[in-house]
Amino acid sequence: MKSIAMNLLGRHADAEDAVQEAFLRIFRGAARFRGGASVSTWAYRILVNVCYDMRRRGRRRPESPLPEESELRGGALRDHPLRLAIEKALEHLDPRERTAFLLCEVEGFSHREAGEILEVTENTSRTLLFRAKRRLQKELASGGAFAPAEAR
Amino acid sequence: MKADCRDLEKALAGENPVLAAAFEVHALGCAACGRELSEWRRISEAAASLRRAWESPELLPRIRQALAEESVRAATDTDASPRRRFVWVPAASIAALFVLATVGLWVFRNGGGREPLTDHWRTTKAPLLTDQAIDEVDAAERVYLSSIENLSRLAEPALSGAMSPVLANYREKLVVLDAAITELKASIEQNRGNTHLRRELLAVYQEKQRTLQSLMKEVKS
Repeated sequence: MKSIAMNLLGRHADAEDAVQEAFLRIFRGAARFRGGASVSTWAYRILVNVCYDMRRRGRRRPESPLPEESELRGGALRDHPLRLAIEKALEHLDPRERTAFLLCEVEGFSHREAGEILEVTENTSRTLLFRAKRRLQKELASGGAFAPAEAR
Repeated sequence: MKADCRDLEKALAGENPVLAAAFEVHALGCAACGRELSEWRRISEAAASLRRAWESPELLPRIRQALAEESVRAATDTDASPRRRFVWVPAASIAALFVLATVGLWVFRNGGGREPLTDHWRTTKAPLLTDQAIDEVDAAERVYLSSIENLSRLAEPALSGAMSPVLANYREKLVVLDAAITELKASIEQNRGNTHLRRELLAVYQEKQRTLQSLMKEVKS
């Protein structure tokens, strides 16, 4: 949950606040859960909505010194220029496309699960991801982000 | 099946695995499509490294604290909300009867009815939340729990053969609630007088009861 929040909000402190707020909303909303989705996707939906709310409010609190992001999956890619370029390019995407990309490509959710989280159909999730990747591809290509590998 | 440059978008969309495979074959001999495909894959590969993980030892205690405060607020709010008050009526009635009966028994057994209750409290140095009071809460909890267990038994046949996604989701939610109950009980065992934990446990029991009730409705409909 922290990972999604971090990618949507961009700061460790905000991500942790979002996770805490999501748990509170889950607690408050438990009685309204009626089995229309799995508990996990329902919880992630709440988290994503919390992140959207925080972004809308432009909430930011000062980043406290944190230990290094220790165990990134694929740690060797940590400072990969393409990764940094993607992080930057993600900011230019439509929020739903960005979330679809983060859920499916980064967190590994299926389109069915991502659809439940985004409250759209499986096909719409697939379309959102396609559009997100297409836009990223164009943005990265125009910024020359693919060039180093081409040269290798 | 054969694919060509015009199939690029459909192949990248990944809806049709046969078309995607055919397009890969085409891309081997087409530099432009090969580049598109390669860029597409490199985005996916780099995306995996965007997954974040960092230590945050203070987060879980913070969340627990916030949830404990929230459960206290929720319990207080039940006095103000008519709808919630209605939910509490049966449980509160049983609890009130139980407390009256217990207090009555206690007065007659210990004081023989001769000594006023208030005087007894004045002359003893017993703490406010005694072991006896905790035992009473435990006993009330057992009564409440057995009624929920009855509901669970009624729901069991529907859940064990659950084929529909909705019933499977109910089952998943009940598993989560049972795990929360187990964890809270373990915490209470270590600190029997912690009223926050007991309120949380009550809230989870109530949620389980509501879930079982709506599950039964779902099964009947």
